[in-house]
Amino acid sequence: MKSTKSNKKAEKIKIYCIFTILLVFGVLLMAPFAWMVSVGFDRTANITMPFPPRLIPEVPTLFNYGIVLENGKLIQAYINSAIVTISSVVITVSSSLLAGYAFSKGRFKGKKLLFIIVLGTLMIPMEPRLIPLYKLFNSVDLLNTFWPLILPSVTNGMLIFLCKQFFDQLPDTLREAAQIDGAGEFKIFFRVYFPLAGPIAATMVILAFIWSWNDFLWPLVVLTNQDLHTVPLYLASFSLENGTSLGGLTMALATVSVLPIVVLYLFLQRYIIQSIALSGVKG
Amino acid sequence: MAKNHMEINANSDTITGVKLTRLKNKRSQLVWYIFLIPSFLGILLFMVYPIFESLRLSFYQSNGTIENFNGLNNFKTVLTSGPFWNSVWNTFYIGIFQILITIPLGFIFATLINSTPRGQSFFKVIYFLPNVTSIVAAAIIFAFVLHPEMGIVNYALEAVGLPTPKWLADPSTSKWAVILLAVWHWIGFVIIICLANLQAISPDMYEAAKIDGASGIQQWLFITIPNMAGTFAFLLITGWIGALQRFNEVYVLGGPNGSPARSIQTMGAFIYERGFTGFEFGVASAATYIMFMIILVFTFLNLKISKMKL
Repeated sequence: MKSTKSNKKAEKIKIYCIFTILLVFGVLLMAPFAWMVSVGFDRTANITMPFPPRLIPEVPTLFNYGIVLENGKLIQAYINSAIVTISSVVITVSSSLLAGYAFSKGRFKGKKLLFIIVLGTLMIPMEPRLIPLYKLFNSVDLLNTFWPLILPSVTNGMLIFLCKQFFDQLPDTLREAAQIDGAGEFKIFFRVYFPLAGPIAATMVILAFIWSWNDFLWPLVVLTNQDLHTVPLYLASFSLENGTSLGGLTMALATVSVLPIVVLYLFLQRYIIQSIALSGVKG
Repeated sequence: MAKNHMEINANSDTITGVKLTRLKNKRSQLVWYIFLIPSFLGILLFMVYPIFESLRLSFYQSNGTIENFNGLNNFKTVLTSGPFWNSVWNTFYIGIFQILITIPLGFIFATLINSTPRGQSFFKVIYFLPNVTSIVAAAIIFAFVLHPEMGIVNYALEAVGLPTPKWLADPSTSKWAVILLAVWHWIGFVIIICLANLQAISPDMYEAAKIDGASGIQQWLFITIPNMAGTFAFLLITGWIGALQRFNEVYVLGGPNGSPARSIQTMGAFIYERGFTGFEFGVASAATYIMFMIILVFTFLNLKISKMKL
């Protein structure tokens, strides 16, 4: 009797210990964000960073945000990022749905080989394609437009793969019923399967959105015109220009730039975590 | 005779019937290719063509307009270039330590989250947040967090009496600044993957072990670890492939040449520097091919392993 009581107590202490460790580590991981937000509201941080560090600014102010937004470049970058991201997401999700469906339900020659090619694209990183793609878009005079960022998103091996797996789980009997009614393949897809594809479409939108919004290397190569810079490009060029001076402004800028993803994440965290675990790809 | 005739008639009937269904089959097959057109146009134009063009370019001296055949000279240039091997060293150094720290640490925290009865989803959300924020923004935040005089990390180190490194201001510690950033950014991913796989281990196994009198440590050693081997392999290889391609954060922290003193210039940054600040397309292409081959080896390994497990 006594030993079970002390066992229970030991168990409880253990649980509290674990909880504390988890909490401390969580605070450590969040500290850079907290500091970023705090410095962003600190007017004096543009002269020297607040030291010793404090969570609540001495003179809390919206000054930094005012400057960052007034400047207009950030808003322009936001508009650019929105154009690129929304177009890329629409294109990549549509084409992946079509291809994934065909690979799941279609019966045609060379299906296996073509699917292997799709999986093969997963092995091709961006770097060896950088220069040829640059030359390709240069030859059709599309550098310093959004097309080089939007058009290549028409192919996404990972999303096609996820899509195929999703459609594989849906029964073929749905097709057969529609086929007896004389519906063509496109009709069957749009009327029968597309309405059922909500969950996988949501996953793909989330993944494609994060990839596109955070994309850096390729935009850096094709967008030399500052007016076309996306948010990460603007952020990077601002930071490379100013280094660690102008802390307040830089942190306000960083805060505003991560905001869309963080808000999206907080609302959809369950789906996002699932999606990323599913795709196994670094965010 | 008449009977024969009838037979022939019937025969030709079935033949036309077969032909018709075949024709129909062919038409219904063709429809499927239409579904694939967008994706495969993209594959041809943005994957297949660039890969071959890049291979061709690696044998040419090129600045984008003038091209001269150069044989293997570009590869020679790259393989005898000090900065290239320096960038390989930096890439490997940062990658190896990032992985050696993050996977065990992430696994430990996944185990801890798994054994806490309350707040599991809360911790998941918190720990995963760094991974969804862009590495560019994260790098900028870390430039301040790791500021030698005014950063919070050195403030904390000093408060507990530890030495305060100069981080990004000193070539001998700058790689560790990048490693710290990389660990911070990747650990959420490792935790989520570990946690998902930990929770997929059947509780029956632990029940059976308990009945047999296995201690907690024995259970961990003989059930948890073997069951997680596939997950570790997956994380190891995807992490390594990602590490080989590291560019964004070192570009933000050190520019294309990875300052201070090229100490954080990765292979990706070397390629960017040669290709897009020096416009030596041939040399850069040769370098990308060397990098591509290295990555390919590890991707193959990944496919082999993930087919066996996961």
